[in-house]
This record gives sequence, C-alpha cells and structure tokens, in this order.
Amino acid sequence: MTQCVDADLSTRRFRERELHTIPISSSWFKWDEIHEIERRSLPEFFDGGSYSRSPRVYKEYRDFIINKYREDPSRRVTFTEVRKCLVGDVGTLRKVFLFIEKWGLINFSVSNGKQRTEEDGGPVVVVEIGPAAGLKVVPTGPVSSSTSSSLADATQIGGESGFRLPPLTSYSDAFGEWKPANGLICGLCGDRHRSGLNESFNGGIAMCSKCRTNETINGKTDVHLTPPNDHADVKDQSSPVWTDTETLLLLEAVLKHGDDWDLIAQHVRTKNKLDCISRLIHLPFGEHMLGTISAKSSSTNLITPLEEYKSSLQVLNDNPPVLTEANGDRPVETEGAEIAFQGHPLKRRCFPPFTDTPDSFMKQVASLSTVCGPYVAAVAVDAAIRALGQENPSARLVFETNRDKFSIPVSSPFKNEFKSDIKVEDGDAKGNKQAARVPEKSFGARTFQVRAAIATSMAAAAARAKLGADQEEREMELLMASIIQAQLKKLQYKMKYLMEAEAIMEKELSYVQQMKSLIVEEWMNLLQKLFHSGTLRWGDQGFPKPLIHSFSTRGSNF
Amino acid sequence: MKLHLPSSSKMPIRFRMPTAENLIPVRLDIENEGQHYKDSFTWNPSDPDSEVISFAKRTVKDLKLPPAFISQISQSIHSQLAEFRSYEGQEMHLKEKIVPLKLDIRVNNTVIRDQFLWDISNLESDPEEFAITLCKDLNVEDPEVGPTIAVCIREQLFEIAIQGVASARESRVGKKGRRGAESFLNSKMSNSSLDLAKLFGSKGSVVRKRKDWYLYEPIVDILSNEEVEALDAREERNARLKKKLDEKEDNFQERI
Repeated sequence: MTQCVDADLSTRRFRERELHTIPISSSWFKWDEIHEIERRSLPEFFDGGSYSRSPRVYKEYRDFIINKYREDPSRRVTFTEVRKCLVGDVGTLRKVFLFIEKWGLINFSVSNGKQRTEEDGGPVVVVEIGPAAGLKVVPTGPVSSSTSSSLADATQIGGESGFRLPPLTSYSDAFGEWKPANGLICGLCGDRHRSGLNESFNGGIAMCSKCRTNETINGKTDVHLTPPNDHADVKDQSSPVWTDTETLLLLEAVLKHGDDWDLIAQHVRTKNKLDCISRLIHLPFGEHMLGTISAKSSSTNLITPLEEYKSSLQVLNDNPPVLTEANGDRPVETEGAEIAFQGHPLKRRCFPPFTDTPDSFMKQVASLSTVCGPYVAAVAVDAAIRALGQENPSARLVFETNRDKFSIPVSSPFKNEFKSDIKVEDGDAKGNKQAARVPEKSFGARTFQVRAAIATSMAAAAARAKLGADQEEREMELLMASIIQAQLKKLQYKMKYLMEAEAIMEKELSYVQQMKSLIVEEWMNLLQKLFHSGTLRWGDQGFPKPLIHSFSTRGSNF
Repeated sequence: MKLHLPSSSKMPIRFRMPTAENLIPVRLDIENEGQHYKDSFTWNPSDPDSEVISFAKRTVKDLKLPPAFISQISQSIHSQLAEFRSYEGQEMHLKEKIVPLKLDIRVNNTVIRDQFLWDISNLESDPEEFAITLCKDLNVEDPEVGPTIAVCIREQLFEIAIQGVASARESRVGKKGRRGAESFLNSKMSNSSLDLAKLFGSKGSVVRKRKDWYLYEPIVDILSNEEVEALDAREERNARLKKKLDEKEDNFQERI
C-alpha cells in the first residue's frame, strides 16, 4: 500500500537521498509541480483573487510543511509548529495542512494511537477493550450483552487500527478474582463485598446490595432478600492464603470426615469451619466432593468409563479443565472432577444420571479437538463461549428444574450450620424462606462454580490452541528454512559444476588455440618449402600431390 | 503567471462576524453582594431574545448565585446584543486584510500567550476549530481553555469588523477635522496588517525567518495554585482601584 518517494530537499544538494513512504493514492505528488487535485481542493489559491493566496505561495507552504515533517518522520508534526513559521492567514494555512495530512504526505509513518483524520469532528473517542473480552465469571444477561458488545467493539476498532482479535481468556481472568481473600464477588458489578453483604438472588446470581437496589428499581423480579451473613463477615476476617498443605489437609479431612465440618476444621488446624467450606466450594472440584461424601442416593459408578477418558483426555491437560459446549455444563464439570481425582480414591457419585449421555459427548469433543487443526479448535472455543453467553437463560432453566434433585445432597452439609428445618421437597418460598435460601445460596455459588469450570476449560482449550498454532508456525518456518537451504545447496552445486566445466572449457580452448597456432606454423613451413622447391604450377595442376598427402597426414593428427 | 490585482474590495456584505458561524462573543463581569461572576461565551444573535432570560435563569440556578443576578446577567447580554445589532444594518467592506491577533489569557491554572495572523476577509474562518487545534497540539488538559481562546479571538475580530464598518461610515460622511483624525487612526490600524504586496509578491518569501519563529509561537504556562490565587487577588485589587478612580473622575467631570 505504499510507494517510495525520493525526498529531494530543496535546501540541500543531492548528496543525501532519503526514502519516505506515502500512500499509493498520493503518487500524483511531485515537488516541482502543482497537481490538478491540489488545484481542485484548494481553489482559493488558484483563482487569482487575492494577494496572499497564489500558486507560488501555496507551493511554498506545501513544500515547507512537508520538509518540516521529513526532518523527523517518526514524529508527528502539528499544525501549531508549522504555523509559527509561515506567514499567512491561519485559517488558510490550516486548510493546506489538513489537505496535506489527509493525503498522507505528512504524518503518515507516525505510529498513532489516536489518529485524527479529516472526517473526525471534535474529540476522538478511544474505545478500550478491557481484559477478558471473552469470559468473565459474572453470569447474567448483562454480561452476555457486554461480551458481545465488546466483541463488536473489537471488530469495529479493527477497522480503524488493524484487526485485533478479542484477547483470549486466561486462567487469571477466570480465576483471578477467586482468591478466598476477596470473598464473594457480586455477580453484576464485580465488586468485592465488604462486611455486610446482602446476597440476593435473581435467577441464581449473587448481587451486592447496590446492585440489588438497582435491580429492584429496574423492576427485575424475584428478589429474595437474605439478612447479612456473619458467614460473610467471618470469611472476610479469615487469613486469606490457603497454602498447599492446608488444602491437602482439607481434602484429606473431607474424605475422612465427610460432613462433619467441626472435625474438618480441627484437622485443618489453621482455618475455621466456614473457611473450609468456602475454600472447598471454590476449588474446582470441591462441590463434587461435597456431593460425594454425603452421597446417599443412587450413584453411578463411572470408574471404568473414566479410564477410557483418561487416555483420550491426556491430550488435554493436567488441571481440571474440561472441554465443553454450552449444554454439557453439568456433566462436564463432574467429568472434570473425576479426572482431577486421579490421585484420590473415587467415591460414589451422587448425581443422578442425565438425559444427554456425557460419555460419547466427552469422547467426541476430545477426539474432535485432536483431529481438527488448532485454529479450528480456537474458533470452536470462541463459538462455544458466545453460545454459552446466549444460552444463559436456558442453562439457568436446567438448573432450576434440577434444583430439587440437588438440594438434598447439597443442603445436608449446611444442615449443621443453620440448624433449621429444611423441607427441601417443598418449593414454596413463603413458608420456607430459609430453606429456599439455603439451596439458593449454595446454588448461586454452584452456578458460579460451574461457570468457573467452564471458563477454565475454555481458557485451557484456547491456550492450547494458541500453543498449537505457535508450534505449527514454528514448524512451518523450520520447513521453509530447510527448503531454502536445500535450494541454496542445489544452487551451490550447480555453480561448482559450472565453474569446473568452465575451467575445462578454458583448458580446451587454450589447447585448441595451441593446435591452431601449430597448424598455422606448419602451413607456413609447408608454404615456405613449396616456394623453396620452386613449384609454380599450382594454378593449372592444383596442389602437388606429395604435399597434399603430407598435409592430410598432418591434418589427421588432430 | 502574472497575478492580476485583486478587485479593491469584495462586494460589500451585511455586517456579520467574519467567521464561518455568525456567533458573537459575550463577556459578563457582574459583582453583586460580594459574589463575583465572570464568564465569557459565544452567543448566536439569531436566537430569539427569550433565550437570554432562560439562559440567565439556568446559569443562576447552576452556579447557585443569588437571584438578583438573573436580571443583571440578562441586561448585560441584551446590551451586548444590542450593540451588535446596531451595526447589523450597515454594510461592511471586507478588504483582504491579514491582521495579527493576540492571545493573552489565563484560565484557571493555564496561561496562554500567542500571536498569529488572521485574514478577516476569510468568511470561512473558524475560531473554535483554531482553539481546539491549539489545545490539542499543546496538550492542554483543561477543557475550559479552548472556549476562552475562541471567545478572545471573536472579540478581536468583532473589534476589527466594527472598525471596518465605522471607517466606511466615516469616509462616506467626509473628512472633517476630528473625523479626519479618526480615519487617520483607522489607516494606522490597517498598517498593522501585513503589507500584502511586499510579502506575497514575487520577491518576498512566505516562510518566516527562523529568528522570528519564537515571536509567533504559543507559550503555555501552567501555574501553581498559589500563583493563581496571588494573581486573582491582584486583579481584584486592580479592579477595585480602577472603579474608585473612575468614580472620582466622574465626580470630577460632573463638577466641571
């Protein structure tokens, strides 16, 4: 898209010639002439109507401005710098300046974050895409729209300053806010709550009190109020960092004691009861553990299918991420939990079997990802993310219908905490506000968690895709390099042979020349002899035979 | 290419601001009950007059000024509008004249001093655009500076435009003694504009000498808060002194 123009600065001699790039659409520009385009765009200089505006003046302005820019092409030259050096109406000067800038004759090679063109009116708005345009663990309708809008922003900006893909989600984006120190995060505004969080649910999303009031103002439905939790307070006061040892202890304790949080807290000496619970929930497979240890209902033993998965999923990752698509949330998460449990003894699964068969699904996804190229996988991940965002409401529905099934195993660990009558089968919110609250509360956390798992898995898949892509590129480069090398070698050999051939030819040439000179000598000798022997009858008799004979024998020597 | 002499003046036009948009500068400086309201902005003279009073009310409400200000503000705006309108009926001859305009303004913490050339016959000139460019190029962050610059330019242009009309009026009336002196003054003013023939003729160069560049370069100073307060105090003092002096003079005149 560029063409090189030699800058012949009129103030200097021709010793230095520099190359500047201007857009190819401006190739009409010439130092010595004024083009039709210039005449048309700035007619006031060419209509002879004023003293201060003439073609000569225009040319001087133009040349000066362009030279000023070319003194340092990496820096943007501003109108203010230029107008102090030129005599004339600043309005007219500005027109000239804008004209030249529009055609890229100045400020073209400058790297610009905010580029003002003639079309821009007043202030330029720079749209910034935040981190994680892909996924953020804040599942609501607003988020899905913001995701899609930020994606749209990305493509919009792409038009201006080169195409930019939305940044891929990384572990830190999905889990960055999940440090236990931060406690719970409001589902809508992402604020970390301080003491006195009011968790209220709108479709299973935890909100801070601010958002809750906003929601009620906006007329959203189903706002269930819960009293501020000492739960939350105590959590906030706990020490934030969970070391590996503590986590290990926690897991051991959970496996050993199951439901009994007091014992677990005892086991993990440095953390209190609520800490343990929260930490467990926040671990990717924690909630599964809760379900596992309190399993009473029927469970499907999936150990054998697990082995199959292990092999196919080796490809994927070490951590508990799991490839998923929008509908496979629930089963996927548990699968992931299974795999993560490679080290732990597998207990019974308490989740009732689902309608869609997780087995083939997982396998399918796993094999697909290995078969298709890395770019396809990345694109698929993107599509999955978007689909997930759009399908939020339906996913939520799924949760709600399954609520009753899950509330049994989930509420039991909390039974000890709240010591209230929990009639779980009764979904009537009126009489059982507390009961409803309990499953909802953990439910909300669970929803978070599921999404966290999804986010991680997609992040991992995306990361892998990127790595794969990088690898492929490197391979390509390597192959290219080897191809080039082979070609070079071929050329080298050819040259060598050609040189040898040339040497041989030269030798032959010299040899031939030698022979030629010898022959000439002999010829001369023969002629001399002939003359000496006085034969003068060549003309009628032809060449004397003995001479011809001796000559021909000589000739055959070649 | 021979440059033929441009016609001595363009067709006379009705009096208006020689800018792309016909906006007039309005400056308010009202003091009442210890509260001092200073402001400057542009006004569109084609707006209905009822706008003035509603603007005054809005301003007083926004700035929480005492209600007495409403009438004073609208009075001031009306009088400036009237002054503009008094010229509106006349024709002005816009000869091509490039005059130097100066800026010497202080807005909050920013001080700008600058001078540049302006062709008052250029009816497409845009002070607002110039102000925006200046602020952008100099990285001025205070958003109040731009409009102040634009108003300052407009005021100077207004002055010059008035002179164009006034001098035309004077010359038509004929030269007589005092009036002659005034027209002489006027031509002196026009001397400050550029000698177009010399500069833009064949021998002159439109590129300024490098040593003169600094003269036409804008200077931006950012003051600290203490300096701002000191300057404000000094200005107040000067204003008060001036008022006292004016009053004394008036009394003196009356007596005479």
